[in-house]
Amino acid sequence: MRKSKKIVVLGHFGVGKTSLIRRFVTDTFSDKYKVTIGVHITKKLVEISAENKMSLILWDLEGTDDIVSIRNSYLLGTHGAVFVFDASRPSTFQHLNEDLKIIREKISEVPLMVVGNKLDLVDKNLLKNVFEEHGINANYLTSAKTGDGVNQLFLNLATLLASDA
Amino acid sequence: MEEKDKIELLKDILFADDHEFEKKISQRVDLLEQTIEEHEKLSEKVKPIVIHEIEEFKKSIPDTLGPTITQTLKEEIKNHQDKVVDVLYPILGKMVKKYVAQEMKVLSNKMNGQIGFLAFWKRKAKSAFTGEKEENIMFDNLNSAKIQQVLLIEKDSGILKASFAKSNAIDEEMVSGMLTAIKSFVEDAFIQRDQELESIEYELYQIHLQSFATHYIAVVISGNFDLNAKNKLQDIIFDFYHSFMAMNLDLVFKTSSTEKSIIPVSKSHVEKELKKYFGNAKI
Repeated sequence: MRKSKKIVVLGHFGVGKTSLIRRFVTDTFSDKYKVTIGVHITKKLVEISAENKMSLILWDLEGTDDIVSIRNSYLLGTHGAVFVFDASRPSTFQHLNEDLKIIREKISEVPLMVVGNKLDLVDKNLLKNVFEEHGINANYLTSAKTGDGVNQLFLNLATLLASDA
Repeated sequence: MEEKDKIELLKDILFADDHEFEKKISQRVDLLEQTIEEHEKLSEKVKPIVIHEIEEFKKSIPDTLGPTITQTLKEEIKNHQDKVVDVLYPILGKMVKKYVAQEMKVLSNKMNGQIGFLAFWKRKAKSAFTGEKEENIMFDNLNSAKIQQVLLIEKDSGILKASFAKSNAIDEEMVSGMLTAIKSFVEDAFIQRDQELESIEYELYQIHLQSFATHYIAVVISGNFDLNAKNKLQDIIFDFYHSFMAMNLDLVFKTSSTEKSIIPVSKSHVEKELKKYFGNAKI
């Protein structure tokens, strides 16, 4: 039996949420930046095992400077969430723990993945130091441009949701 | 004459030619400097005039060259209509073709329904009883509201639970998500919290949205969806939802006594019910 799960992808402006989804759904990437207005919905069928398939309905929420301002109605009934920050732009992760606290208040009991995107623009060793300095713990480091870590992120999330169901 | 004077005299005699040459070079250099200075001075004076003239020329293009260009284009289009059609057809042709094809398909489906044996005799009978002309009855029937697609959607998540469609439609799961997002946005932004978005209109179709506690039903309708049709549709939706809730409650009661986990009603079962209620419904 195929199940459908709603996943919200959220984060600050220009961190690459749309690019991350595009890489996962259509395996493409574009350098041109288009602002997401409101929400954009896409779907990807994920094969967890031969008998277990899952439809991930991905809600790409518009970026925001202030996580508090995310519309609660978009988060209703979500089965999982992906919080994306730009690993090359400290302003998008320097208040990460506060941002995650706010998100957790809005969606308390669903899996939440924390993702550092744009890995292709940073030195991994330097990044490690920066993360330690800011007390950051990212579950995944990805690059929508090269595709590094993208499939793994969504596949792991789908597997986690399947095991929870 | 002293020794020093002698040396000077000797220098003059020996370097007489060189002095002449040096003098000429100096004169040429002076002349060149003067020319450059004059050019720069001239350039300073002429440059603003040239820029101004260019700007004026740019501004005057619509008045001076505009009519000529327009006239030339008009003549070219008039004289080479076939070429223009060749260029524009791939763009306009596709749009027109798509629209006409869609309209013809809708009309064809309706005509097929109207020229059937049963429809023919129904129309005859209605005409005999009401005294209304047969062609008017046929036209009314052609334009009447028709259910094209029904989606049962989980209210919060926007996840599609079941659907029924008369023809293959675009990805229903994505449509369900988008409808839910639009509904949430409109309800958040424009309407008071205790009110719900009820319909979305687009060209030939209208989407009627009926909300319940945990789910909502979206019905895509073609034709004239008036108040009478809306009332009939709402009755059908309420009947279906009552049946759907009953199915869920049956499961809860059946499983609670045996301490089994509750398995939701299967999608295929709900879709059979949707077809039963909406498949041949007249509104």
